[in-house]
This record gives sequence, C-alpha cells and structure tokens, in this order.
Amino acid sequence: MLLKLEEVSKAFKGLMAVHAVSAEVHEGEILGLIGPNGAGKTTLFNLITGVYPPTEGRVFFEEKDITKVAPHARCWMGIARTFQLVRPFPELSVLDNAAMGRVYGRDPIKSRSRAETACLESLEIVGLTGRASEKAKSLTLVDRKRLELARALAAKPKLLLLDELLAGLNPSEVLTSMQLIKSIRDMGITIIMVEHLVKAVFGVADRIVVLNAGELIAEGTPAEVSSDQNVIDAYLGKSLRV
Amino acid sequence: MKTPAGGQLSLWKPSRRWSGPGLIVVVLAFAIVFPQQIAQDNIWNLFFLMSLGITMGQSWNMLGGFAGQTSLGHAGFFGIGALVTRTLWLHGTPFILALVVGGVATATFAMIIGAPTFRLRGAYFAIGTLAVAEVLRITVAQNRPFISTMPGDMIASYSLPARYWVALALAVVTTGAAYLLLRSRWSLGILGVREDEEAAQASGVHVLRHKLLALALSALFMGLAGGVFAFKQISYYPEAPFLPTFTFEAMMIAYIGGVGTVAGPVIGGAFFVFVRERLAANLTDVHQVIFGVLFILVVLIFPGGLLEIWERLRRLATRRQQGGPRASGPSPEEEGL
Ligand SMILES: Nc1ncnc2c1ncn2[C@@H]1O[C@H](COP(=O)(O)OP(=O)(O)O)[C@@H](O)[C@H]1O
Ligand SMILES: [Mg+2]
Repeated sequence: MLLKLEEVSKAFKGLMAVHAVSAEVHEGEILGLIGPNGAGKTTLFNLITGVYPPTEGRVFFEEKDITKVAPHARCWMGIARTFQLVRPFPELSVLDNAAMGRVYGRDPIKSRSRAETACLESLEIVGLTGRASEKAKSLTLVDRKRLELARALAAKPKLLLLDELLAGLNPSEVLTSMQLIKSIRDMGITIIMVEHLVKAVFGVADRIVVLNAGELIAEGTPAEVSSDQNVIDAYLGKSLRV
Repeated sequence: MKTPAGGQLSLWKPSRRWSGPGLIVVVLAFAIVFPQQIAQDNIWNLFFLMSLGITMGQSWNMLGGFAGQTSLGHAGFFGIGALVTRTLWLHGTPFILALVVGGVATATFAMIIGAPTFRLRGAYFAIGTLAVAEVLRITVAQNRPFISTMPGDMIASYSLPARYWVALALAVVTTGAAYLLLRSRWSLGILGVREDEEAAQASGVHVLRHKLLALALSALFMGLAGGVFAFKQISYYPEAPFLPTFTFEAMMIAYIGGVGTVAGPVIGGAFFVFVRERLAANLTDVHQVIFGVLFILVVLIFPGGLLEIWERLRRLATRRQQGGPRASGPSPEEEGL
C-alpha cells in the first residue's frame, strides 16, 4: 500500500473540514476523490502533502508514519501535487519552473544544467517544450495547469495529487488531459485526482472515494459508487447524474 | 527547439545584454583608468562611494530581490561589519584579515537572528529586521559613545586611491557572487521562495534553508561594505554605520537600478551616488525629493527600474529605426510584434 490515512481529522476554528477519514491508496491506481464544494477534498490533499498537521489521526506513506514530516520532505519521499488555483512561479521561465521539481524533488539532480535537460522530458509530456524560455506568467490558464503538472512530474513522484486539473478546460482539452492522466499512471505513478467533472473521473479512475461535509461517505469502483444511494443524495443527484 | 541554455538565459533576460563580456570590460576599464587620469580627491571619493553603493545594492538585492524578503535592517549588517573590522584593524590586525573577519562575523550574526526573524512574513519581517538593527544601533551608541579616529601615523600615510581600489574590488566580487548565485541551482529554490513559498515547498524546496542562504550571503557582503566604510572614514561615531540611511540607500539602489537582476544594482549604485553627490553639492535637500519620487515611480510604474526603462526606450528606438523587432529576444512582447 502506498498511502494510508488513519482516522485523519482537520478542524479550522471549530469547523470540521475533514472528519475521521480513513482510506488507502494502492500502488499504480488512479483514485478519484469527489464530493460537493467545501467537502474537504483540498484540505485532505493538504493533509497528505503536509501543508498543516492533522488535528487528529495519522498519515502513512510506504508504511512510514509521515504525520509530522514537513511538506518539502514529503516531496523528497515522492509526493507531488498540483494546486486547485494554479500556482506556477510567475516570474520564472517555463524551464525553471519544471527544473524546480527536478532539482529539489525525489532523486534530485544536483547539477542545474543536467536537471534542466532532464526536466525537458516532463515538459515534453505536457507539450510545453516549445515554450521553455517564456515566463510562466505569459502562459494561458491551460498551459499554466500543464506547467504545474510538468513541475510535479519533474519531481519524480510516486504519488501525484491533482486538484481539479480539468476545471476550466474545454471539452477537447479535457479529453486530452484524461489521456495524459492515464499515460502518467502507465509510467508507474499513482494518482489521486479531485474532480468535479464526474463523467471524466468515472472514465479514468479505478476507484472512487466520496467526501461529504468532511466525512467519507462511500468508496468503491465507479459503478458501485454511482449506484450508491448516499452518494446520489449527497452529490450526484445535485450535480451530474452519471 | 529551445535549448536548456535558452531557458537559463531567460532568467537573465533583463540583464543579459548588459552583462555581455564586452560591456563589463569597458565599464571596468573606465572605473580603473578614469579616476587615475583625473587624479582628484573628489573623483576618487565619488568612485569610492559608487563602488560602495553597488556593493550595498547587490547585498540588499540578494535577500530582497532574489529571495523576496524585504529587509529594513541592513544597516545592522553594515554596522557590525564596520565595528568588527575597525576594532580589529585599529588594534593591529592586517586590514584584509580584519575585513574578512568582519564579514564573516556579520554573516554569523545574521544566521543567529535569521531563524527567529524568518518566522515573520512580509511587512512583519521588514519591521522585525528594522527593530533588530535599531536595537543594535542604540546598544552601540550607548556602549561606544566616543568618536573613533585613526591614529596619527595612519592619517599621515592615508591614501584615498587605496580605499577606492578596495571598494572597487569588493563591488566586483559582490557582483560576481550575485551572478554566480543566480546561475547556481540554489537560486532556483531562492527565487521559488520569492515567487510562492507554499508551491516551492511542495516542489521539495526547504524554504528556511534557502532564506538563510540568501541572508548569509547578503549579510556577508553588507558586512564587508561596512568594513570598507570603516577603512575609509578617518573618524566617525561608531553608531554612524548603523544608521537606517544605509538600509534605505541599499534598498533604493536595488529598486532604482532594477530589483532582482544583477545589472540593476550596478546601474542603480552608480546613478544613485552620482546624483546624490552632484545634487548634494549644489541643492542640499533636493536629491532626497528626487529619489523619493523616483522610488515611487519605480515601484508603481517601472518595477524593473532603470534597467526596464532603458530596455523600453531602446526597444522603442530600434523599432523606429528598423520598423520591426530586433532578432534577439524571444520575449512575448517581441514575439507578438
Ligand atoms: N485554511 C483554512 N482556514 C479555514 N477554513 C478552511 C481553510 N481551508 C479550508 N477551509 C474550510 O474547510 C472546508 C473544506 O474546504 P476545502 O477542503 O477547500 O473543500 P473542497 O476542496 O472539497 O471544495 C470549507 O468549509 C472551507 O471553507
Ligand atoms: Mg478544493
């Protein structure tokens, strides 16, 4: 098992954003994390990446307790992410953005020039090679999302967390991104993806976890989850029915 | 296809045309030959101050421009460097050794206060650094109330050009260090911290370590600048180099020249000191107004400083001449034309 959450909770001044969530992520799978706005999906990502410690519970990565490990050290261990609101480094070039992951991530390359060459591979995967010398701030939203993905990939993660990567993309971009997500998994990278486009997640994910009001209310294959009455009531009924 | 080297250059975009080897040789040759040709005290003095200004600007820029940590306490570093260097030197230590010890002592002090100070963010960090520097200044003023004057034999053999050569060498070394820092892999993390701490952390950047690295280098060179100040002044109150003026000058030089670049503090240092010395000679207080206005202009309209203003003018001029973009830069604006 790659990642295990043991009864993790996170409270913000009395508000239980995540409440006693236990879950497991298996190596090589794509896990879809869905739920209404404010369900606690991003907070759960922050607990996995270590942005803040959980109020209660523990997080295990490759059997090691990482509950108290700092975010940068979790990246070194192989956990990388993209942000719901894209956060590339605006004043840095596309290449330097990606090189950041290669220089500081897991299995880092200590020479900057070799790291730059090596991270071209990640830029290639997302299709940004031709814009390597542009500043990140000059890219469109879609390209900035791609760049964040390249930066995360350059960190050579074992586990990749994608927070609404498909939001704001047009239908054809969604399709290519879904292919991209699958091909990343085929490279041996385990993926957890938060997504509101239920059709898209159900199309690529091996398993789905549903959060509602901070609690895990269902877990299973897309088929199982989409026929779960709790899920239909809490989420699917209100948004897209599959 | 864009090569990795092309990408690296893009980080250099604002300064690369300025940092061409040819231009460096010309500027250095001028800085070496011109004062010797004129051979007047006021010119040696002007060039000394310009060199010192460049060093201070580079120092401030390493922390404020590269790492994005706005310090209002650099006078504290300047003062420590001056105090340690002066004390050792007047007690018989060879000057160069005293200078190095002064610089290292400053960097060490910065490391000690760094970890707690970096718990503060943004404006709180700025105010925290100002507080540390002011506490230092007041402490020194109370414990060293008497003016420090060079002994008579030193004054008798005092050579202004010797001061200038030391200051020039330091400006060159500091600028070289800023250049190397920006090309190193460490700069990726330092710039990443400036751009977005949380995103940098998520990419594996140890934020505190990179802030401390930028701080150590910044303090080292500010301390060395203080040591050179102590080497030049025949007499001064030990409190003087701790005065906030030195912080603001360092910051203004970085901003006016072009913050976050290597060429910026060079241009800013030369320009700032030249204007200050020229105007100070005639119209006592006008230069402060001018710098105030310039500073606000830079912050509000030309965040890239003189470097950016020059780039825009030059682009405008070449566009007029050739009716098209120059074939050099792959910048978005130029591509879009
Ligand atoms: N840093 C924070 N401080 C206070 N409240 C927060 C913070 N982050 C999230 N929340 C709250 O926690 C709840 C879950 O938020 P979030 O995890 O962003 O939901 P989701 O990503 O599922 O839309 C929301 O009510 C949100 O307002
Ligand atoms: Mg969210």
